[in-house]
Amino acid sequence: MIEHIGPQLFNGLVLGAFYAIVALGLSLIMNLTGTINMAHGSFMTLAGYLAYTMVLRKVPFGWALILAPLIAVLVGIIVERTLVRPLYKREPFYSLLMTFGLSLMAEEAFRLIWGPNGVPFSPPPALAGAASLGFMQFPTFRIFIVVVLLIAIAALALFLTRTRFGLRLRAAVQDTEMIAALGTNTQVLYAVNFSLGIFLAGIAGVLAGGMLGLSPTSGNALLMPAFVTVIIGGMGSLFGSIVGGLLVGIAISMTTLFIPAASEVSMYVLMAIVLLVRPRGLFGEEGIFG
Amino acid sequence: MTARKELLLSAAVVVLFAFGPWISPLMHLDVSIVSGVLVIAIAVMSVNLLLGYTGLPAFGNAAYFGLGSYGAALSVKYFQVHFAEAIVIGTVAGLLGGLILAPFLLRRRGIYFGLLSIAFGQVFYFIAYRYTDVTGGEDGMQVPRPLFVLANAHATVSDFGFYYVALAFFVIAVIAFRTIVRSPFGRTLIAIRQNEPRVRYLGLNTDRFIFVALLISSTMAGLSGALSGLLINFAFPLQLDWHQSGYFVLSMILGGAGTVWGSLVGAFIYVIGNDIISTITSWWQIFLGALFVACVLFFPRGILGTLQALGRRAPQAFGDDDDDDHAAFDPHAVPEAGRGV
Repeated sequence: MIEHIGPQLFNGLVLGAFYAIVALGLSLIMNLTGTINMAHGSFMTLAGYLAYTMVLRKVPFGWALILAPLIAVLVGIIVERTLVRPLYKREPFYSLLMTFGLSLMAEEAFRLIWGPNGVPFSPPPALAGAASLGFMQFPTFRIFIVVVLLIAIAALALFLTRTRFGLRLRAAVQDTEMIAALGTNTQVLYAVNFSLGIFLAGIAGVLAGGMLGLSPTSGNALLMPAFVTVIIGGMGSLFGSIVGGLLVGIAISMTTLFIPAASEVSMYVLMAIVLLVRPRGLFGEEGIFG
Repeated sequence: MTARKELLLSAAVVVLFAFGPWISPLMHLDVSIVSGVLVIAIAVMSVNLLLGYTGLPAFGNAAYFGLGSYGAALSVKYFQVHFAEAIVIGTVAGLLGGLILAPFLLRRRGIYFGLLSIAFGQVFYFIAYRYTDVTGGEDGMQVPRPLFVLANAHATVSDFGFYYVALAFFVIAVIAFRTIVRSPFGRTLIAIRQNEPRVRYLGLNTDRFIFVALLISSTMAGLSGALSGLLINFAFPLQLDWHQSGYFVLSMILGGAGTVWGSLVGAFIYVIGNDIISTITSWWQIFLGALFVACVLFFPRGILGTLQALGRRAPQAFGDDDDDDHAAFDPHAVPEAGRGV
C-alpha cells in the first residue's frame, strides 16, 4: 500500500492541475461578471471532441491542442456576445440558469454528432509509454499534461500581472464602473475575459479527453470538482483556485487508494471542513458574492 | 385579479384535475403521467419558495427530492413499511437533509448560495451511487408499491388511486404554499429577496427566516420525492443529481417564478416533455434547453408571470393586496451591489 503513495500522489497532482485550470476559468468569469458558467463543462467537451476529430483527420496532436480550444473560444465569444451579455445587467443567477440551458443543448448536440457513447481518444505515440523521473516511473502523457497546465497557469499569471490589459482586467474586477469611466471599453474586457476562461477550459478538455476519456458528459464530470475547488479556494481568488484544485486532487487520489468507495465524497468532506473553519474559503475575500 | 376571481379559478383547476383520470385518456396521456405532473409540481414549488420568493438560487433541491425518494424506497425494502408510512419517512428524510445542509448554506447568499447548494447536493448523489450494497448503486432500486394499511383493512394502491393521493397532496401543498407566502413570514421572505440588509436593520434575524424557508422547502421536496418514488416504484441516483435540481429550477422559471400556480404549469411542460416528447424525438433536450435560454432572455417572468403582467396592464394602486404574487419577483430588478453592470 505504502509504495503506491508516491505514484498516487502524482496522479492526484495531475488531477488537481485539471481541477485548478477549470476552476481558474470559472473564477475568471465569475469574478468579473458574477456569472457561474454552467456550460463550462460543455466547452471542455467541445474542445475535446474537436481535437479528437482533428487527430482523426491526421492533424498533429500538438496543433489540435491549440486549434481545438481556439475554435471553442470562437464559439464562446459568440455565446458571450449574443446570449450572456444581455444578462450582465440582471441578477447573476440568470446567467447561471441560461448557461444551464446551454449545457443541456450542448450535451444532446454532442450525442447527436459524436454518438451517445464515449470515443477512444488516446495520446499520440510520442507521448505514450512511461518516463523515469529518477526515483519513479510515470506515464509520459501525464507528465506532459502537468507541464502544459503549468505553462498555461504561468502564462495566465504573467498576462494578468505584467500586461496593461491584465491590469485593466483586474481593476475591472474591483470596480467596473470606475474602469469604464476612465475610458476602458469594458465590453471588450468582458469578451476577452470570457475567452480566456474558455481557452483554459478548452486545453483542459483536450488533455482530459486523452487521459480520462471522451463522452458527451465528460466535461460536466470535471465541472463539479471545479465548483468544489472554487469554494475551497475561496470565491474571488485565482490563487485559491490553484491551491484548492491541488488539494481536491490529492484528497481524491488518497481516498481512492485507501477508501475507494469514498473517493468522490472526499472532496465534499474537505469542502465542508474548510467552510466550517473558514466560511469564505481558504483565500476568499470576505463579503464578495455574499 | 381579485381574491374572489382567483378562488374561483383555483377551484376550477382543482375540479378539472379531479376528473383527470377521465380527461387524460382524451389527450392520450396515461393517468400516472398526470400524477407525475402533480408530484413534480410540489418539488417545483419548493424551489419557488427559495428562489422565486426569497431570492436564493436553490440549485440543490434534487438532494431533498432524492432523499425523499430513497427514504421511501429504502424503508419499504428493508423495513416493509406501508404506503402512508413510506410517504412520511420520505418527507422526513427530505427535512433531515435540509437540517444537515442548512448550517452550511445559511452562511452565504446570492450565487455563493447557489454554488454551495449544487456542491453539497452532489454528496447525496455520490452516496447513493457508491453505496451499492444498500442502494443498488447506479441501477437504482426497484421497489413494489406497498399496501395501504389502515387499522385492520389494507388495500393495494392502483395508479388510479395513486392519482387521487397525488392530487390531495398537491392541493394541500398549494394551500399551504399560498398561506405561507401571504403570511407575515412569507412577506418577510419577499422583503429579504428585495433588500436583505434593510430587513436586518428593521431588527429581524434574516438567517432564522431563511433557515425556516429552507426547512419548508426541503420538506416539500422530500414529500415530492417520496411520492415520485412510490409512483414509479423506483429510486435511482439521477434523482439526486444537480441536473435534476436544474430541471426543477427550469420548470419554475418556465412556469413563472414567484407565482403560486406557475409551478404546476412548469411541471406540466417538463414532465410531458420528458416522458412523452423525449420518446418521440432525441431533439427534445435541445428544444428544452433552447426554450429555457429563450425564456431567461426574453420572458424571465415565465408563462404565468407574463400572462399576469399582460392581464394587469393598468398600474394598480400602491398596496393593493391582490397583487402580491407579482411583487414577489421582479426579474428586472437592478442588482444591488452593482457588480457586472
